[in-house]
Formats: sequence, C-alpha cells, structure tokens
Amino acid sequence: MTSTSRRASLLDSGFDLTLRPMRHPRFYEMYRAAIKNTWTVEEIDFQIDLSHLSQRMTPADRHLIERLVAFFATGDSIVSNNLVISLYRHINSPEARMYLSRQLFEEALHIQFYLTLLDNYVPDQQRRAQAFAAIENIPSIRRKAEFCQKWTDEVFGLQRIASDDDKRRFLLNLTCFASCIEGLFFFGAFAYVYFLRSRGLLPGLAAGTNWVFRDESAHMAFAFEVINTVRREEPHLFDASWARQVQAMIEEAVECEAAFAEDVLSGGVVGLTRREMRQYLEYVADQRLRVLHLPTRYNVRNPFAFMELQDVQELTNFFERRVSAYQVGVQGEVAFDEAF
Amino acid sequence: MQATLDSPQTDFHLTPPHSARTQMRVTKRNGEREAVDVNKIVRAVGRCGDGLDAVDPMRVALKTIAGLYDGATTRELDELSIRTAASFTFEEPEYSRLAARLLAGFIDKEVQGQGVYSFSQSIRLGFDVGLINERVMSFVESNARKLNDAIDARRTHEFEYFGLKTLHDRYLLKHPTRRLALETPQQFWMRIACALSTSVHEAIDLYQVFSSLDYIPSSPTLFNAGTRHEQLSSCFLLDSPGDSLESIYDRYKDIALLSKFSGGIGVAWHRVRSEGSLIRATNGLSNGIVPWLKTLDSSVAAVNQGGKRKGAACVYLEPWHADIEAFLELRDNTGDEGRRTHHINLANWICDLFMRRVEADEMWSLFDPKDVPQLPDLWGEAFDAAYAQAEAQGLARKSVRARDLYARMMRTLAQTGNGWMTFKDKCNRAGNQTARAGNTIHLSNLCTEILEVTSEGETAVCNLGSINLGRHVIDGAFDFDKLAQTVQTAVRQLDRVIDLNFYPIATARASNMRWRPVGLGVMGLQDVFFQLRLAFDSSQAKQMSTRIAETVYFHALRTSMELARELGPHDTFKETRAAEGELQFDSWGVTPSDVAQWNTLRDEIKAHGLRNSLLIAIAPTATIASIAGCYECIEPQVSNLFKRETLSGDFLQVNRYLVEELKQLGLWTDEIRNQIKLADGSVQGIADIPEALRAIYRTAWEVPMRGLIDLAAARGAYIDQSQSLNLFIANPTIGQLSSMYMYAWKSGIKTTYYLRSRPATNIAKTTVQVSDTAAVVCSLENPEMCEACQ
Repeated sequence: MTSTSRRASLLDSGFDLTLRPMRHPRFYEMYRAAIKNTWTVEEIDFQIDLSHLSQRMTPADRHLIERLVAFFATGDSIVSNNLVISLYRHINSPEARMYLSRQLFEEALHIQFYLTLLDNYVPDQQRRAQAFAAIENIPSIRRKAEFCQKWTDEVFGLQRIASDDDKRRFLLNLTCFASCIEGLFFFGAFAYVYFLRSRGLLPGLAAGTNWVFRDESAHMAFAFEVINTVRREEPHLFDASWARQVQAMIEEAVECEAAFAEDVLSGGVVGLTRREMRQYLEYVADQRLRVLHLPTRYNVRNPFAFMELQDVQELTNFFERRVSAYQVGVQGEVAFDEAF
Repeated sequence: MQATLDSPQTDFHLTPPHSARTQMRVTKRNGEREAVDVNKIVRAVGRCGDGLDAVDPMRVALKTIAGLYDGATTRELDELSIRTAASFTFEEPEYSRLAARLLAGFIDKEVQGQGVYSFSQSIRLGFDVGLINERVMSFVESNARKLNDAIDARRTHEFEYFGLKTLHDRYLLKHPTRRLALETPQQFWMRIACALSTSVHEAIDLYQVFSSLDYIPSSPTLFNAGTRHEQLSSCFLLDSPGDSLESIYDRYKDIALLSKFSGGIGVAWHRVRSEGSLIRATNGLSNGIVPWLKTLDSSVAAVNQGGKRKGAACVYLEPWHADIEAFLELRDNTGDEGRRTHHINLANWICDLFMRRVEADEMWSLFDPKDVPQLPDLWGEAFDAAYAQAEAQGLARKSVRARDLYARMMRTLAQTGNGWMTFKDKCNRAGNQTARAGNTIHLSNLCTEILEVTSEGETAVCNLGSINLGRHVIDGAFDFDKLAQTVQTAVRQLDRVIDLNFYPIATARASNMRWRPVGLGVMGLQDVFFQLRLAFDSSQAKQMSTRIAETVYFHALRTSMELARELGPHDTFKETRAAEGELQFDSWGVTPSDVAQWNTLRDEIKAHGLRNSLLIAIAPTATIASIAGCYECIEPQVSNLFKRETLSGDFLQVNRYLVEELKQLGLWTDEIRNQIKLADGSVQGIADIPEALRAIYRTAWEVPMRGLIDLAAARGAYIDQSQSLNLFIANPTIGQLSSMYMYAWKSGIKTTYYLRSRPATNIAKTTVQVSDTAAVVCSLENPEMCEACQ
C-alpha cells in the first residue's frame, strides 16, 4: 500500500484519507446531489410496454428494440468494471472516491433496470439467454465492446501511477469512458429510446432511461470535472499527442456507433434514418471535443427534434406517469418565518 | 417479439449515406409503389397553411422526406409529416397549428375510410358496433338533418397540435376491432352535446360552447357520454371502512368498481385500528393500516380504466391515528417493500388543534381508533373537546412532539410531493352540507377540490366541467357577460349529468340524488393574465381572479336556483347552510362586491331553494386544458418552455404569448431561444427582455408562493367546495415548507394539492452548445457549487 499522506495533485498515487480541509468540495457536492436523485427499479411500470411490444410495433421497431436492449444488457457492467479497475484506484481524493462509490451503486442500479427490462421484454428463456450473450453473438455490439476493452486493457495492469506517461494513460481511459462510452454510446442508445417515446411508445423503458440518462449526465460531469482539475494542476499533460489520441479515439467511437446504427435501423424506421443518426452522433462527438477544449471535428447541427425535447423540462401528467423530479434528503428544521 | 436475435448476423458493412435527392418510393394503401413527389407533399402541406403566414411548407416537406426510408407506406409518410411540422414548434409556434391541421386531415381520412361522412352516420356506426346507446341513437336519428347541418368543420382549426392529438389518441370513439376513429373531432363534440341534452336547441347550444373550447366537461363525461356505460362522474369520495375485515373488503370492491369507469377515488382510513391493537376474535394483535393499504395499492394498480388511463386513488388519514408515522412513509423509496405503496396517493386530514399545537410547540397524542371511534365524525369545538377528553382518560397510545410530526409531514411532501395538507375544520365549517350535526365531511377527493359529506351509506360523487377563461378575454378586456352566459349553460349541463349518470355502486346513487352536487371549475387563468399583461402576484391579478370567482359563483347559484324553481330543490336542501341564507363568503366573513345583487339572490334562494347543494370546485384540468390548449386551472405557468410526456408521445409546449411579445420586440431569435432553453424555460436572466415583461412571464418556480396562496384565499370565499392548489418550490427545505403550510392554514385555505419540486441534478443538455460545462455551474448564482468562490 502506498502512502496515505496528502499529495500535491489529484493523480499522484495513494489513498488520501483526510476530508478536512476539503480539497475538492465540488466532488463532495456532486456526491450529495447524486444522493438526492435516488430512484428504484420498482417504481417503473412495464405493463404498457408489453402491450406496445405485442400490438403497436412493426418488425423493424422490434428489431431496433432487441438490438438496443442487447446493448444495454452489458453496457453498464463494462462501465462498472472500469470504475473499479481504473478510476477508483487512481483518483486520489477521498471525496472523489465517495462520488465514485455512489456511481458504482448507480451502475448496479442501471444493470438491475436493464436486467428487469429484458426479463420482462423477452419471456422466452432461450431467447433471453441469447440477448444477454449479445456481446458474443452480435457483431455490431461486439465491436463496441472491443473498443471499450481496448481502453480498459490500457490501464488494467497499472498498479500505481508513477510517471506522466501513466497519467496520460489514465486520462485517456477516463476520457474514453466519459466521452465515448457514457457520452456517445449511451447517448446514441438514449436517442433510440427517446425517438420511440416521441411516438408515445414504451413509456416504461423511457421512464427508466430518463433516470439512467440523468445519472449518466452526472457521471460525465464528474469525469470532466476530474479532467479539468488535472488540467489545472498539470497542464503539461494535455499536449499535442494527447489531443491527437483523443481525436482519433472519438472518431473511432463515432464509427463504432454508426455501424451499430446501421444494424439497429436495418429494418427501415420512419423518422430515424441511418444518415441522421450518424449526423446526431457527430454532433454529440463535437460537444465532447468542445468540453475537452479540443477543436470540433464535424460541425453539423443536431438533426433530431425529439432530442431537443430532451433538453426541456418535463411536466408530468398526474394520471399518466409518476413524477421523477422529487428529491431525497431534505434539510432543515420547522420554522414559521422563512420566505416562500 | 419477432425472432431477430436468433438469426445469426452475417457480416454487415456501412452503406453510404443516402441523400434526399436519391429517388425514394412509398408504398400506397393498395400496395403499389410510387416515387415520392416533393411537390405533392408541399401542396398538401400548403393547403393546410391558410392564414399561417410564418410556416414554410417546403421546409416541412424536405425534412419529412429526409426521414423516410425506401418503401415506407403513405400512412407512415402522413404521420411523419405531422410529427415533422410539430417539431418546428419551438422556433415558430404556428407550426403547432399546422401540425394540428395536418392531423385533422389525417383523422378525416381515417373516419371516411369507414364510410362515415356525416354526424348521424358516425352515431349509426357507433350504435351498430355496440358503442352508442339507444337513447342517443334515436335522438340523433330523429333530428339528423338539423344536427348534421350544425356541424362546423372549421372549428377543428381551434385546436393546437397537442390537444388534437390527445383527442385522437384517447377520446374519439374507436371501432372495437379495427381500432380506427369512427368520429371526427366535431362529430365528437356533437355526440357529447346530444348525450347531455333534451332538445335539439340545447344540443346545438352545447355544441357551440364545446367546439369553441369555451367550456369543456371533465374527462369521464368526454369518454363515456352517449355510450352504453354512461359513467360521467370524475370523483368519488368514500368514508373510511369500518373497523372490520368485511367492511374493509367491501371497500376494496367499491373502489375497484368505481375505478373501472374512469373515476378518481378518495377514501378515508380513519376508522381502521392501528398496529398492536387487540383483535378480540382471534386474541391476536393487529398489524395496523399499512398491510391494508398495501393491498389497496395493488388493487388500484390492477384496474385499468378501459385502457384510457390508470386507476388512481388517494387515502386520507387524520394526524391523531397511531399509524400516522408509518402512513407518511408509504411512498418512500427506501425501506421494507412490504410497507411501501407506489400507486396510491396520500393526504393528511388536518384538524386545527394539531396546527395550534404545532405553533405552540406542544405535545400531540396518537390514538387507536378502536379507543376513540367518535373522533372521525367530529370537527371544530366538539372535536377539540373529545380529543382533550380522550387525552385526559389516558387513552393515547403514544405521545409525540407536534412539531416533530409536522416536520415528518413536510419531509414526505418534499421527498414525494405527496401527503397533501387538507384542513378538516375549515372544510366542515365552510361546507354547505354540514349545517346539521351528523353530516360530516370526512375527506376530500383524489385532487383535493371536492368536499362532500360521506357516511356508511353515502358515497359522494361529483361531476365536473371547466370554463376556459382565456376564451373570455375579448378585445383586450375580460368579458363578464360572456362568462355569465357560459356559467349558465355549464351548470344546466352538469345538473343533467346527475340524472343521466350510470352509478357503479348503490351508495353513490343514493348520495348523489339527495345532494345533487356539481363542480364547475375554471382553467386558463394564466391565459387571462398573459392577455391582460398582469403579473401573477400583482394586486390587479388578485382583483381580477377574485371577481371572476365571484361572478362564477353568483351565476352558478342563480342558475341552480332557477333549476330549483323549475324542477324543485334537491332533497336535502333544508339541511344546508344555504337554506338558512348562509353562502360561502358568509362562512369566510367576506363581503362581496355587489351586496344588493347578492341579497336579492339570497332571498330567491330562500324562496325557491337550490337544485344543487354544491356548485363550484376547481379541478386540476390536466387533460382537458391540453385539449383546450390553455394553462391548467388557476395555476401559474410551469415554464415558458416545457415538455409533456404522455402516452401519445412527447410534446414541446412553448409560451405563445411570450413568443408574440418577443416577436414584436424583434427578440425572437436563435440566441434568445437558446438562452430560454438553457434556463429551463425561465426568462428572468435574459437582460435583453424588458423587466416589466419578465415579471409577467415568471414561472411557477419564480412567483412567490405567498402570492399564490393569497390569490387562492381571496378566491376561496366564492368556492363552495375547494380548489386543487399545487404549490411550487424548486429546492424545498423543512423550514420553508413549515412556514408555507402554516401560512396556508392561517389564510383559511381549505385544501392544498401537490408540492412540486425540481430534480437535484439535471440531464446534460444535448442540443444547446455549451463551451464548458464547468463555466455554467460556476456562476454567482451558485456560489456554494463553485470551487473558485471558496
């Protein structure tokens, strides 16, 4: 075990244990905000989804859905594993590790959600087993998994960060998971769900995805906060070679996800063409590059109006869905003179 | 599901991106394939764009084609063009109108496809397939020509897209096997009108009011009027089951039967013994109310209201019940699943004594209902005395600090939005039905706007309808004469529902025939304020809102008095406060604006009675406000830009009044739109928009809740039932909530509804370009979130 004493930089290896004075209160705030957004799988009702699957969907829609849930079946597990193998070990800040512990719980919750979803959607045992084995059987999903694996392998053997080179390897891994896996693969997957919801389909999937999306947005914000912190502390790590590698990585991710789209949309789905899906992915990729302080690569507009809807606050109809906006963890004492 | 997973994928490759110029083909309804013709789509869209100057048909056509795949059907093409038009709504709200008109054309095709070209044909078909009842069928048959002629197809242009889409997906009668609409929107309005009328003249009058969206009856009436199951009531209130197994299971059955036909349920649980209470027959100890409510929860979830919406119920409990703490945890996300309910709503039925003890920081005693069976039927001083006596006799199971329990209630509100605060004593003191001892209001309903007496033999029922206030602003001024007219038509219609209605259980019929209550409400108050440029919490707004409430109450009473003169007063008129000349504002100690006019009416009421014991209730109007395209009931707007997630899909709603104002100022630009989106629909931080305008266009999160409560209290003096009053605090604390609800109680409000709050963290914005997420968080408005400021 390495030293527990306070180090100068977030990526200097070790297991810092001191929370006061707090060096990164932002991470702690993120942890607390995450706690407030607790949800459970039991709150989601799949009843209507099942009737939609049997009555309202075309074969092409069903193909889309099967590919999608097959991806979801393994996606979050990949992220969880990387969290344990790489992030938790190397981000040396106890408050950041609090956040990561919370994130790990959220990933498990997402896994549970998609597990429950698949159990509901695919009642046949044998076909269910095939869906869970998608990562082996379906080339478009295997390719994405291999992409993730490659970046996990990069840090798998890294016991402790010892050099700038190690730090760069770590940063690339983190960048990959934040901007390519959570930030692009998942964003692509969410787009399919919201497309279906824009047609009023699969409210259970959409409700759960909404909450997953909210969590993933927070994970991404945390990861970028880590990257920005390192950038402030050690700007020299972010050199031209780093930039080139990130650009190449993001381009590869766009290709992987576009290939997945070719497969998902192969049945012909009105209102969601492969061309527009690619443009959407490119648009999202540019957003990630921008946050990473890198020049944009594609310079296209978002083609999906239904994703614009995603940016707008929801007004949940009382009779139709339960409101997901309520907070857990309210503070304060009884008083009679506070402003309201 | 289709087997696609088990067909092993061979290798796949990227197909080149295709462009809109590639020749695309559609499959017609007869199976033939035809090349997509842009001009044809442009012409079809253009035909619907009459008078919509800001829409560009070419843009809709091109975007539609870009979303097609080769071989798509013409039906898919039609649907996509509608969705495409709707997707431009944020930039230009007129596209919502365009989408609505395209959809109207689509519906016409669907209806005509089944051989229906006139109103009477649609009724005939509905009758033949077993949907329409004989009464309406023969009424329409014998007046077919006049009714057909009265249909005005252009009125379908009154709809916004979301309203028409909702109507199409959920309200228009569908063929039982083909699942296609067998009536157009205008034929739909005429059907409801005919079902609720006794003469052609009346039917056409009602049709005019409905189709101009001036007044709309509640959803159950819209769902069921004219059909073979005419359950037209919205709300049912059931007294607590008695403290026995039989009684509890009888209540489950009542609730299931009432839910089946679109009714929302309120049920009290005050009389059921608490945990640890001795069960004499078995010498065991009771598990209290939680397992019973868990069962109720499952029962409610199982009832699907004809596939139209899910069953819904709210359970009321008084704060002296020894299981109150477990009750408040029922909707928590954590803890033992066996003690959690995810479907039923919770409400607190709060006595004044509890609030007084909270304020004075005193102790509060919890009782087992078996020891104090008299308490649920008492209110006011009689309750206070009985409660004190029970305490003196040492009957309390437990004693807690009143403030601790109150804090627990506030926590439940903040965490779940549930646990609504409703005030038992005020509800009874200012209830027209409670003049005689023994007639007690035991609870409110699912949406906290109905207050009617219940007992073992009486299940309270209410028929609702709401006036669209925004449609009563004519040439920049509120038209009170038109309002009076609408009230008259509405009250007569609501009264008729009482006699027509199918009652799923006998106790509901018994109660409704005796008391004949109706609930006339309003919607679109916010639309009035926008049109008159009033800030929601301004004194002019309060004046306007109060005067509207007084006018509605006055004309509702007068119409009911006239009905009593024609048909006789309701059976229990002599048991009401009105019989003694006490009207709602008298109970509040408020003097109305035109005393002489009121005195005349009061004398007429004493002379002729009233046909209805209760007249006014402001319901949440969630769905019918959507159909009418107005803001809900008496609420401030939630946002200038928001999204609705419904079973019909997602819909963007942009404040068209704001857009008009900004267009006039030349401020409706991409940049401002992005700023509004980034700020979640708030305009408060946009310096380019004049301050006076920003004050008018505040959202529910930005208007002080004190102002909202003041408006509600001022209006309350003219509401003989109650109002569904949502309260909004983005990030509530216990201190804020306890202050707010104490103020609400003191201001004399009868009931409150949801506490609305906002998520602690948000989903990343995907379509607004942000240079650096950290920079957004690090602003002066979020000092505690910003590392740089610490």
